[in-house]
Amino acid sequence: MEKKKLLLAEDDELLASLLNFRLVKGGYEVKVSSDGRAVKEHLAEHTPDLIISDIMMPYFSGIELIDYVRKELNLNTPIIIISSAGNEENVLTAFELGANDFISKPISPSELIVRIKRELLKV
Amino acid sequence: MNTKDLLSQLIRLERSLNDFSFEELTTAEASHLKKSFQAFRVSLENKIFTPSSSFLNDTEIDTPADVILPEDPKKKEIKPPSADMLVAKVSHEIRTPLNGIIGFTDLLKEDELTSMQLERVNAIQTASYSLMDIINELLEYSKLSAGLEQFESIDFNLNSVVDNVMYLCDTLIIGKNIELITTIDKDIPMGLVGDPSKLSQVLLNLVGNAVKFVEEGSIILSIELIKQRGNKLFLAFSIADTGIGISENSLAHIFDAYKQAEYDTQAKYGGSGLGLSIVKQIIDTLGGEISVFSKLGEGTTFRFMLPFQKGSIENIVKVAAASGITSDVLEEVAGMHILVFEDNVINQKLIAQRLKSWKCKTYVTDNALYGLNLLETNPIDMVLMDLKMPGMNGFEVTQLIRNSKIKSVLEIPIIAVSADFSYQDRENCQQNKINDFILKPYSPDELLTKLVKNKNRMKTTLTIESKTINPAVELYTDATKINLSVILEDCLGQMDLLEELILLYKQNALEFIGIVKLNLDKDDLDEIAFAAHKIKSGLAMLQSKSLHIIVEQIQAICKANGDRKHLMFLHNCFIDEYPLVENAIDEQIKALKNN
Repeated sequence: MEKKKLLLAEDDELLASLLNFRLVKGGYEVKVSSDGRAVKEHLAEHTPDLIISDIMMPYFSGIELIDYVRKELNLNTPIIIISSAGNEENVLTAFELGANDFISKPISPSELIVRIKRELLKV
Repeated sequence: MNTKDLLSQLIRLERSLNDFSFEELTTAEASHLKKSFQAFRVSLENKIFTPSSSFLNDTEIDTPADVILPEDPKKKEIKPPSADMLVAKVSHEIRTPLNGIIGFTDLLKEDELTSMQLERVNAIQTASYSLMDIINELLEYSKLSAGLEQFESIDFNLNSVVDNVMYLCDTLIIGKNIELITTIDKDIPMGLVGDPSKLSQVLLNLVGNAVKFVEEGSIILSIELIKQRGNKLFLAFSIADTGIGISENSLAHIFDAYKQAEYDTQAKYGGSGLGLSIVKQIIDTLGGEISVFSKLGEGTTFRFMLPFQKGSIENIVKVAAASGITSDVLEEVAGMHILVFEDNVINQKLIAQRLKSWKCKTYVTDNALYGLNLLETNPIDMVLMDLKMPGMNGFEVTQLIRNSKIKSVLEIPIIAVSADFSYQDRENCQQNKINDFILKPYSPDELLTKLVKNKNRMKTTLTIESKTINPAVELYTDATKINLSVILEDCLGQMDLLEELILLYKQNALEFIGIVKLNLDKDDLDEIAFAAHKIKSGLAMLQSKSLHIIVEQIQAICKANGDRKHLMFLHNCFIDEYPLVENAIDEQIKALKNN
């Protein structure tokens, strides 16, 4: 079976490295982008099976990313949002714009993987 | 208050915003303000115009929303949430963007505005505040109706509750010729068990209401003991005013939600019209009863009965026997420097005002590190410490103070302030070397007595110290508590990955120190806030709690465009703390490798 492709948009290198490691271990093909411009460029040429995005990112926030994917690209790729504590109102906006799930920092990689599996099963 | 009023408030608010020419102002605040407002309007409109909340279209909620009409088959499938539940949720959601509007309007006012612009910004602010009041009452009312409100049953001092309410009402009658009189039945024990904050709310509402409708005359609050059965006490409270009175017609509906006595009452006196319904809800829930007598032009009397338990004297701070404040005592506290740790803004203002009237110099903060800094750099004589604060609680802050390297700081008298003291709390007070405690709400008398008592203690135990600042204060000692096993588990036990992450962590921390320094010089708080956000999750991952707290505070100050000195102080804290954390991490790695 072909590996599922994930796009991980996370500007925190520490978290990105850890998640990348665990996701690759988990059998996914992972593209890590650390800022919104790179995310946009990547999406112009590739269509991942699922997107994981931090809400706060330079140049292009997670919220803008959802809007871009849903409205501009017209894709229903599952999107999981990474939020920081105290940012609950952003999560609501994210859901309104079409995010499928969210996970709060500090993140347990195992939990994220379970959430990814669940979203991919729904597709 | 109904949906239409809410919408008309909203339209008024929008009009003020539209009048306001955003082209004249290119500041980020202006666009933020506009965004906040749009988000607010959209969310409100969604809530109001979605079918599930169609109940909002009516002035009154006559039928419970979860009654499903049989002729509507579609509705059968989804049972809508109860009206009150929904309103509670919606009000809560509305508050967030509204806070944004108020906050950014405040920021706008700091810009250089023409007088015309200032006037408009003020209009936005006034409209926002009154909308906030309405929403708060709506939230309160629906929480009560939906049974979401929590009621307490704790020991409290009736005298203090009444004193506090009257103190607040005193500030309301300034400029009016009104006499406020309180009489309390001597047979009522002062120590009761019940919900003091709900009682305050009811009294404040009824007395506050009376103040609104009386121009001249008196308001009398009297409290009587009407029945006593074993430990159970039934108290009758009556609030009699000489105000405009209420017509017989209106009396019948006075406790109904969304009804003020007359149509034009709201225009003249403001408010949501929910105050009295809230009062009735609270009294009903507590098992009491309320009634009202009134005659147009002569005045109104509200009378309510509430059951309480007799409190154990043990748990109550006794009131100094009706001593009254003498000039001797006032002289004794005048000139004292007092640091107050308190997070509630209203309480902050209240206590600052009180202490100021006694000629004390007051410093108020809710921030542990900043407070500690104040202690080290100012000749402070005493600390009032609210035990329940978000972030670090009072005990933790006290520990920081007691661990200070400066003698005058570590020996400073600390009075703990709390709404309820459990035995555990009391033991904690002793263990943490808290000198005394006072129960909230307290009367001015009580506070004064505590201040004098502890001031004398200070005289005998403290020696005068030089006030040199020791910059290398050890703020936290939890650097050693770092536990890397959780993250190692996340790394599936791979040491090289963990080491790689730690290398990144160290780079990020050093980078952060640099970025903050650079942008402090450039005064670019946005950049600092962003750097703080970026480093936070890494700090959390490696369980660097102390650094995490510092960074969180840095972020909060940047967002609020706060005190630069405080920022610099926190930056130094980070610089001081980081080597300790790094050391602890290296030690842990060594230990893990040896295992």
